[in-house]
Amino acid sequence: MGLRLTVQVQLVLQALLRDPAREMYGLELSEETGLQPGTAYPILLRLEHEGWVTSRWEDVDPRAEKRPARRYYRLTAGGAAQASAALAGARRPKDAALRRLARGGGVA
Amino acid sequence: MTLATDPRFDPRKKRARVAMFITAGAIIASSALSGTRLSGWRWAPSVLGLALIIVFTAISMNLGGGLRGRGGMSGLCGRGRAAGDWPEGMMVRQRHSLVMVSRMMPGPAGRRWLAEAESVLCEIAAVRRAAAARSYLLSSPRLAAVMWAQEGLRLVQPGSRRSR
Repeated sequence: MGLRLTVQVQLVLQALLRDPAREMYGLELSEETGLQPGTAYPILLRLEHEGWVTSRWEDVDPRAEKRPARRYYRLTAGGAAQASAALAGARRPKDAALRRLARGGGVA
Repeated sequence: MTLATDPRFDPRKKRARVAMFITAGAIIASSALSGTRLSGWRWAPSVLGLALIIVFTAISMNLGGGLRGRGGMSGLCGRGRAAGDWPEGMMVRQRHSLVMVSRMMPGPAGRRWLAEAESVLCEIAAVRRAAAARSYLLSSPRLAAVMWAQEGLRLVQPGSRRSR
């Protein structure tokens, strides 16, 4: 596995694992994890590269919705299993680290 | 946002950029022509250096379609959208910085990054927007390096998967 399970990666995986079938978009994930969107994006890209996550553009008319389409992310079947196993074996992030992330908005 | 408020549409700045581009092109052409009179390959480093300078200048400038035809904008808020029709709340500066940074990334990956950043920044609460935009910009150099590395690997291994 080429993926380093940093605190930020663990937070993203935890958010996605809460309901593996649910699709989440960048802002939603950022709010659930407390990470800045710019921090969450490279993580999602890495997870997608590893095949743990799949993504798609929302199929909407931006003019009708009055907002751009969202990019939705979801764990793949294999990814959910691998993420669960990886999180079970990972060191739990310390509360202090989580507080620091929440305060600093997760900019690494 | 209107044409009048967007710095990219300032006619004087645009003329200056075009003049800079033409000057740099003329320098390269004259260097190449005079360089060929030098013996061996001694002219090559200077011409190559100048060529690199013009390439990076062209990338950093916002000349209409740009080198890869991306235009001033991309993604869902991009070309085809009227100037006053961009999502509210997106600051011109933020958009401009993101567009510039996206050009450091490989084509499709840069377009996707920009589209996603725009999508998030359009929806995020106004008080959090500046910090979010900063986070995209701060993470971009490392991300660009990773993307280029992946692009390189993809070129070396033609069968490998490409994420868009």
